[in-house]
Amino acid sequence: MLGRLMNATIELNELEVQLGNRTILHGLTGVLKSRAIGLLGPNGAGKSTLINTLLGFHSPSKGSARVLGLDSHTNGNALRSLVGYMPENEAFISKMSGVRFVRYMAEISGLPPDQAMERAHEAFVYVGLGEARYRPVGTYSLGMKQLAKLAQAIAHGPKLLILDEPTNGLDPPARKRLIELIGEIREASDICLLLSSHLLHDVEETCDEVLILRNGQIASICNLAEERRANRKFLELETIGAEATFTSTLESLGCECAVFSNGRIKVVMPDSVEIREVFKIAADRGVQIRRMNHRRDSLEDIFLDAMEHTGAADARI
Amino acid sequence: MPVYKRRYNPYSGTLTPQWSRFFVLTRYAFAELFKSRFFVILLILSLVPILFFAGYIFVANNKTVQLLMQVRSTGLFLVENEYFTTIMIAQTQAAFLLNCWVGPVLIAGDLTNGALLLFLSRPFSRADYVLGKLAVLGLLLSAVTWVPSLLLFGLQAGLARNGWIWSHLWMIVPIVLCSAIWILMLSLISLAVSASVKLRIVATGVIFISFFVPAGIGEMYNSIMGTYWGRLLNFTEMFRLILAKGFRQLSGNEIPVPAAWGVLILVCLLSLVILNARLKAREVVRG
Repeated sequence: MLGRLMNATIELNELEVQLGNRTILHGLTGVLKSRAIGLLGPNGAGKSTLINTLLGFHSPSKGSARVLGLDSHTNGNALRSLVGYMPENEAFISKMSGVRFVRYMAEISGLPPDQAMERAHEAFVYVGLGEARYRPVGTYSLGMKQLAKLAQAIAHGPKLLILDEPTNGLDPPARKRLIELIGEIREASDICLLLSSHLLHDVEETCDEVLILRNGQIASICNLAEERRANRKFLELETIGAEATFTSTLESLGCECAVFSNGRIKVVMPDSVEIREVFKIAADRGVQIRRMNHRRDSLEDIFLDAMEHTGAADARI
Repeated sequence: MPVYKRRYNPYSGTLTPQWSRFFVLTRYAFAELFKSRFFVILLILSLVPILFFAGYIFVANNKTVQLLMQVRSTGLFLVENEYFTTIMIAQTQAAFLLNCWVGPVLIAGDLTNGALLLFLSRPFSRADYVLGKLAVLGLLLSAVTWVPSLLLFGLQAGLARNGWIWSHLWMIVPIVLCSAIWILMLSLISLAVSASVKLRIVATGVIFISFFVPAGIGEMYNSIMGTYWGRLLNFTEMFRLILAKGFRQLSGNEIPVPAAWGVLILVCLLSLVILNARLKAREVVRG
């Protein structure tokens, strides 16, 4: 059963969501099959609305969204029983001790009291708050509150973990620890992840597939795992005197070239081609290479590319 | 798994039935309530009148004690419908005070730091949530209204004998029904206030205001318009009207009983509308 459901983690079919008179999501269509999905987009792109819709909090005005094979609108309850949700904003009961709070949430998810107690302790120790578990959550630091939110999201053993800006407000070591934890959770079980973040690096470290939203529309769906497997190398060149023969010679070696204004050339190199061969061809053709940047395609490139192609080059995240 | 083994494990154990999960809220709320010494004192004080009522019933049915007290009049100790009306009025007022202390914190605590979102992101609906909170007040206020009233009824039936129970069995209906509407109205009002006002003292004030201000406005309306329909805004009086009719007593009130029922049901519906508007899972949509 689960194997069949897991074919698509998230399936969007002409999903349109209106809040008041405003259309927030405009006919999103796409299938995300990876276990770890990143959700990216500038402010107001509709990320939180999409998460709320997937959780069944908003009803689609048109189309549908399916998560783990379940319709978010018609099977909301069944779907939420498979989900652990870590919201972006503060979400805790300040006077309760950390472990009691997590136990409470686990019991609401359906765990019997003794199991909920055991799982709450496990989750608290697992996220690294073992020493602070008997303190009221209201006395926790911001980083500890984030970890407590993660603990309540995993205590009942969900099939899908939805993390909305999990590293918000964390200092670098705490951020690193949280990203490691998310990675560990992912590796330790068959749990799926949906991570919404402004930090491309967080998404790049934890996700296999990325859904980029812009103005309530899908700007791009990119399979990072495939990109990584393709292992493509890029050269960004700033040249003087480069003519068509230069790029055609590179292409004859198996490179893919994209020529931009002011002599900027982007070259995708196969593994068999070394950089010194590019220098040699440039020397033979009398081309001056004024700047060279050698790197692999990053999520930032993918994101910026998606923003450019949808006419939002100035969009900031 | 021992806690020292720091590793994430999926859960594959049994789950509690969906229908019973609302009671988790009730259980945790009671656990929090009983941590408060003031609440325990208030609860005990709410039950103190029951001891006096029970003592009265005992004396009323015990000629020896009456002789010892040198009571000559046979009509002094009568346990009839008037007496149970008095019990009900006293206990419903105690319930009102208890409700004013307990009600304001029930939802506000979950809304202050956004915990409501965590409840509703689980297989747990808003109806479950309201039911769980309603059960707290329902059980608590029942414990000081119809439950002790029925126990007193049973005590009187046991002591009086001579078929008293059969001639007075009809009183069970008004005891339960009048308590039910009062408890429901009080609970829904205080939950609606708790969902709207975060500070306990302010919320308690709002609950008092929601009873006394409409009553005052109603009286003003009566004075100005020379009518009696303004009494519809006096919820306590409407409840007493229902109570009096239930216990087959003359109320001296011109308002028809169905209108009184209508007002109390309307207040309940209005409170539900407020709860529906306030209890939302959504986060703020940016942009």
